[in-house]
Amino acid sequence: MTDWVLPLVVGTVTGILSGCGVGGGTLLLVYLTAFAGVDQHQAQGINLLYFLPAAALALPSHWKQGYLAKPLLLPAILSGLLFAALAAWISTGLEVEILRKWFGGFLILIGIHELFVKSKQEPCGNEKNGV
Amino acid sequence: MGQRMRAVISGGLAGLCNGFFGGGGGSVLVPCLTKWCHLSQREAFATSVAVILPLCVLSAGIYLWRSDLSLVAALPYLVGGSIGGFLGGRYFKCMNVVWLRKLFGLLLLYGGVRCFL
Repeated sequence: MTDWVLPLVVGTVTGILSGCGVGGGTLLLVYLTAFAGVDQHQAQGINLLYFLPAAALALPSHWKQGYLAKPLLLPAILSGLLFAALAAWISTGLEVEILRKWFGGFLILIGIHELFVKSKQEPCGNEKNGV
Repeated sequence: MGQRMRAVISGGLAGLCNGFFGGGGGSVLVPCLTKWCHLSQREAFATSVAVILPLCVLSAGIYLWRSDLSLVAALPYLVGGSIGGFLGGRYFKCMNVVWLRKLFGLLLLYGGVRCFL
């Protein structure tokens, strides 16, 4: 039972961020690998599965609010699928220890970017209609 | 370079991260979309969710097939993610993202450094 509660709470909190596209998945990966001691491949797989309902349930709102840049979706998704397949294939064949070092470097790069690159806050609820 | 070509490159980078690290595609895609494709922050966040979702379906399939991923271990995160995703979509308009991102950056640095210890 208690094995359930913490993952559920963590999943909910990061899910809010994921739904907003603010890096909830990256955060869940940090929780799984650095705090919960889950094996690197397992953590990555859990994170991928977790994002499916989080994104699927957030998307209808984004769509209705007109925040999706529709003309960019198809080209970005098609090329993304190609590279995702290739990278997932390589990653699942890699030694965990090697993958973990790459992953650490990736987190540090994104962390530095988030901390030091300025992002301006936009006023609450500025509705826009695509591009 | 046209907007479409920029989307292709941005999506490709997101795909690489998504497949290789099982996540973090959005952390790469959002800056690409704002700085390079000139979307507003909110458009970039929302659009990145829509781009990453199909990539996750494909990557998750490959992980299920090629690594011994346990669905049972993933289940509570899936339930939490559903609740959170729904809430995130609804309250998206009023999220204050600046302080969130600082906190986020610190956590990532911690997690990153832990990988080398």
